Formats: sequence, structure tokens, C-alpha cells
Amino acid sequence: MGKDECKTMLDALNKVTACYRHLVIALGSTSDSQNLREELKRTRKKAQELAVANRTKLTSLLKDKSISKDDRAEYERLWVLFSSSMELLEVDMKRSLEIGQDFPIKVPTRHLIQTGMTGSTTTVAARAMSVQNMKYEADSNIDTADLRDLQSEITQMSQMMEEMEMKVQVAPWAVEAKQEAGAELKSNMSVGNSSVGVISICEEEPKEEDGGGGRDAGFASICAVLVFFVIVTVALVLGYLVINMS
Amino acid sequence: MRICLRKVDLPLSPAPISICRMTIRTARPNRGQHFRPRTHCLNKLESIVVEMQDPKSGVKGSEQKLNVSTIPHVITGKDVIAWITNKMKTTPEEVQAFGTMLVAYGYIYPLQNHKKLVLCNDSSLYRFQTPYFWPTQKWVAEDSDYAIYLAKRNIRKKGMLEAYEQAHYSHLHDWLNHKWDFIVMQATEQYKAGKERNKPDRVVFDCQERAYWIVSRPPVSEHCCVKSNDPNESITTISTNIFYQQAIMRSKVKSSVSLGALTKYVTTYKNHDPFLAPCLPSNPWQTDHDAYWTCNTRIDVPTKMRVERWSFSLFELLSDLRGRDDFKVFLKKEFSGMPPHLMRHLSNLAFWEAAEELKWGTASSMTSKAETIFKTFLAPGAPRWINIDGRTMGLTVKGLDHPHRYVLEAAQTHVFLLMKKDTFFRYLKSPVYKDTQKNALSPAPHNFSPAQLEQNAQNRSLGVHPVIVWQQEEEEKAKAAAASAPVDVKAMMSKIDRKK
Repeated sequence: MGKDECKTMLDALNKVTACYRHLVIALGSTSDSQNLREELKRTRKKAQELAVANRTKLTSLLKDKSISKDDRAEYERLWVLFSSSMELLEVDMKRSLEIGQDFPIKVPTRHLIQTGMTGSTTTVAARAMSVQNMKYEADSNIDTADLRDLQSEITQMSQMMEEMEMKVQVAPWAVEAKQEAGAELKSNMSVGNSSVGVISICEEEPKEEDGGGGRDAGFASICAVLVFFVIVTVALVLGYLVINMS
Repeated sequence: MRICLRKVDLPLSPAPISICRMTIRTARPNRGQHFRPRTHCLNKLESIVVEMQDPKSGVKGSEQKLNVSTIPHVITGKDVIAWITNKMKTTPEEVQAFGTMLVAYGYIYPLQNHKKLVLCNDSSLYRFQTPYFWPTQKWVAEDSDYAIYLAKRNIRKKGMLEAYEQAHYSHLHDWLNHKWDFIVMQATEQYKAGKERNKPDRVVFDCQERAYWIVSRPPVSEHCCVKSNDPNESITTISTNIFYQQAIMRSKVKSSVSLGALTKYVTTYKNHDPFLAPCLPSNPWQTDHDAYWTCNTRIDVPTKMRVERWSFSLFELLSDLRGRDDFKVFLKKEFSGMPPHLMRHLSNLAFWEAAEELKWGTASSMTSKAETIFKTFLAPGAPRWINIDGRTMGLTVKGLDHPHRYVLEAAQTHVFLLMKKDTFFRYLKSPVYKDTQKNALSPAPHNFSPAQLEQNAQNRSLGVHPVIVWQQEEEEKAKAAAASAPVDVKAMMSKIDRKK
């Protein structure tokens, strides 16, 4: 059905927007590199494709006058999700243009900020592109060439958003959210051991809500312990047999 | 040394405005009351921070050891202070202030005691902030971003937010409710994407984000600049108080009333606006022919448009000098030779004129003018005493002890209102006005050919120099004064003697 298709596409756009933000935050710092610029470019292209696809789908759904009131409310909610994602993406693109211009990679005298981040952002970009490994193929003048492309893409994006606002008459403030406060805590994700430990001296994490998340990590550790015991038992049994043999 | 830290983007705008801004997020200039443009200053700061990164001459970083990982690029407070002293070569207090500003604005964030944004001149640890989170006035720290951050923090802390964070969270949940689905989705996605990075980078990222939001949405602390007597009053209460105070001071005219007044004004003045209607005979700026200006000076026969304009309001009548003359003629005709209580109309106009002269005159003549006005109009038993109410009279007389330009403002307004109520409408119905209207000119519109326009452009003269105009006026005034002054008998006699 149209709604489910829309929802999957919106989820994908949401994921790409989140990854793009992570990549833009790394710009200008010590984890900046040519690879990062290429990752930004590819994530951006993917985001634009998804945006265009989403827009056509949603506009066609909303233009249909013969849908029920509930359906219309649902589509308006999806529209608000879509436009908020687009706003976030547009701002991030503009900021990446600014920061990219301020911190060119090939200029030797401009130092990158020593923020403490030194790792690469390959995994984040791979998550955005939904691939296992990223392959890098850009040439060395990516920062200057890319910035020109970026400028034209930003203008395209702004035009698209203006068109959207003109064509579709949706009142964003009239949409009712389905999630209530604290809904993010109930989502199914592993919040247990993989969360960050000590940041400063005074932080301690109280394990209040165990939820479904904690169970995953706990399960893995229980499995490991069981396997360990099984191996120890097998070793003991074999040893006993060897002693008996001899 | 206590330093007053004014944050770059103090969130004094209450939540409703964020709803209106939600569709247009681009760099709209912030016209809030506390906004000071600081772009140039921030650019300079950024270049200094980049200089600090120089591996040879910048601030030396070291490593921070956490449980299982080491994170590089940690700097100590005293290293930063030493570097700034070396670069700027100024007093230690200035260096301390500058360093604390760098921390307060968010270029450097402290690792221990993260809520206290000061640079301590000891071995306390700091780290540089990533350029995305640098303070910028172009990109406002939006409420929806803050909501996403709080949701992420909620996930990480499993529901245990700090008190002020919890307050903001509930507040944003109310005001950004229509976007809440998006906020939850984006927060979970950003959290998951963040976990793709390696452990030390994740720690650094969390620190960076937390530091950014402590700068942009400061928790209530004693460093807060906004004064409040009640220590429990949070920053949201203070900002709502300011919002309501400003709302009370705004004008409360209904838009139906103000729009009605606007349409009335437009319909009345529509034909008199040179942009909307052709001005007769021709617009001097377009045709280079100054007939329009010469027609509208203080001449005997005014144009019809001018006369019509006098009927709009007493203000128009009195502002036009020809109209004022006409009004004077009317008053003389009506009221001269009448009992004294009706002569007040003439003295009202005279007083109004004298007050205008005081307002527009030179500063040196003010005291003398004020004296004459007092003697002529305001003193009890004065020859042209005006009848204004006791309170205004008292205020004016008291003000005349130390006269300034606007000391007669209240009395002048009162007199103006009296004239409007008593005599203005009588004037409009009077034969004087009707005569003037009948005799008024209606100049024919010019129709210049392009050759004639060229000619006009060449014939443009500089016009009369204002000094010459003033001299002529002075001569006329002197003649009028001499004509009406009492005859000096001795001078006359001496003249007759000399003639003999």
C-alpha cells in the first residue's frame, strides 16, 4: 500500500539525514580527510534521490481528493516528517559548504582543529549508503570540485522546498504526533553495555529501565559463559578419559 | 575577577515563535532585542583558534587516559593561558578574561566540571570544539535540534535527565508536539549512527555535543546574567516575565480600527500624492519646469488642490503659510471689534504661532522669546491672555523658569484643540474660504514635447539662494514693524527741523 511504501522511504531518508549530520560534525576536525569529503558527497546524493522519490510519492498521495479523513491526517503527518527531514538536511548542507570552504584539505597552512576525534567515519557512511564497505575512488581535488557541486545542489534543494511549500497546503501545526514523551526509551535497541562509559569524573549511569534493550547484551554474555563452561567440561572429560586410558 | 558572560544567543524568545519559524529555517536575521551582530569578531576568534592548532607554535596537546582508551588532543588551562600571553602580550587579567571568553562562547570546552565555563590557570583539562559547534550567529541553535539532543540523552541516560533538562524536555514536547514523531525518529537514528564509530570517538562526540548545548541552552546557575530576586525562578520563568512585560507595553489598538483609519487616510489623500495622481501643472522633477513650485508659494491666489487640502484638517491649514494667512483674515473679519472674550480666537492663533517660532527658532533667542511669550500671553492680566486650563498653565509657567524648545508643547496642543473645536469648521463655512475657493487657480497640465523637455532641462536655474530669500523676508518684517510702531515724536520733530 502507498502508506507503507512511504513509511519505508521516510525511514531511509531519516537514516541518511542522521548519518549526514554525523559526517558534517566531523568536518574541519582531525578526523577530516579526503575520504570524509567523498563520503559526504555520496551521502548527499543518496539523500537527494530519496528526497525526490519521497516528494513525488507524497505529493501524489496528498493531491488525491478522494481519500478518507484518517488517511489524510496520516499523510499530513508523513508530510511533516518529510519536510522536517528536508529542513535538517538543507541546513546541514549549507553548513558543510561553509565549513568545507573554511577548511580546505589540500592547503598546507590551514590547520585542522584538534578535537580528539581521530577515527574514520567509514562505518557511518556505510550505514547511510546501506552497503557493507565503502570504496573510495575520488581524485585529489575533491574539495574544490565538490564545493561547486554542493552549491548547485543547495540551490536545487531550496527550490524544491519552495515548490513543496507552494504546492502542498498542509498546516504543520495541526498534525498530532503519535509518539508520547519518552517514546524513544521504548524503542527496541540495545542500550546496555555498548553505551558510553565514563566521560567525566562525576558521571555514573543508573540502570533504571532495563527494557528490551538490556536483554540482548545480557543474552550474549550468558551464551559466552555457557560456551566457556561447556568447553571446560569437555576438556575435563577428555582429560579424565586420557588418565583412565593410561 | 567576576566576568559578566553574555551568551551569544540567549534564548529569550519564548516558544511560540519557534512554531512560526518552523518552515523557514534559513539564515533569517535575528531582530530580537538582545541581538548584537558579532560576525567580524567571531571571524577573528576563529582565526586565533586555528592558530592554536599549529603543531609547531600552537598549544601542545597531550593524551587523556580513560578506562580502556586514550583520547588525544587534551590541553591544560595553563598552556592555553601561556600561549595567549605569548601571542597577545598583554596583562594577565586580560589574558584570563580572553581565555574565559573562549570557553564561555564554546571554542574550548572543559572536561572536568563541564558546567562551569571558565578557563582556570592550572592543570585542568580542556579540549577544542569542532567547527560545526562553534558559535555562529548565522545558524541559530534551534529548538528542534535541542529536542533531538534531549531525546538522545534520554536514551543514553535511560530516562534520568537533569532537572532543567527534564523541564526543557516537557516544555518542548508541548510546543513541538507536531514534530515529535520526527524528533523521536531522528534521535534514535542519530544514536544508532553514532554507535558506528569507535569508542574513543563516541566519547569525544558526546562531550562535544554536551558542551555545545551547555553554551546554547545554559543550565540555571549563578553565572546567569538575568537578575531575579527569587533564587528558585528558572530561566524560563524569567524569559516569560520579560515577554509579558513587553506585551503589556505594546499598543492595543484593534486592527479593525487602525485599518479603518488607514483606508480613510488613503482615500482622502489619494489625489494629492504626486506618485499616484499627476500633479498640476507638471511634476518639476519630471519635466524640469518649476511652475508647480512657484504656484505653491505664499502668493495671493492659491491653486484649487491646495485649498482643498486645507479642508482636510486644521493641521494642514496651519502648516501651509498661505492657509494660515487666510485663517487669520477670517478671524480678523469675524472677531475684531467684538467683546474681549471672543478676541481669544485671535490670541489663540497668535500664541500657536509664537510657540511654533520657539520650537523652530535658534537656541540663542529662546530665553528672550520665552520671556515675551510669557508677558504677552500667559501672565495674569496679559494683553493677549489665552484661556487654558489651570493644570497646563501651572506646568507651563513652571517650565518657563528653565525654558527649552518644547516647554510650550502642552499649552500649544491645548490651544490647537480649542481652535479646532471652535473656529476651524466655522472657517470652512465662511465667505472668506468660499471666496478663496472660487478664485483659486486650476493650472492647465503641461504637455511638453521631447524638444521642449530638452529646453527645460537646459534652462534649469539654480533658484534663489535661501540667504537672499531670508534677507527679503527680514526687510519686509522690518518695514511692517516700522509701519506699525508708535511714531517717535522727537524723531519726527527733528526731521521736520532738518527739512526746514
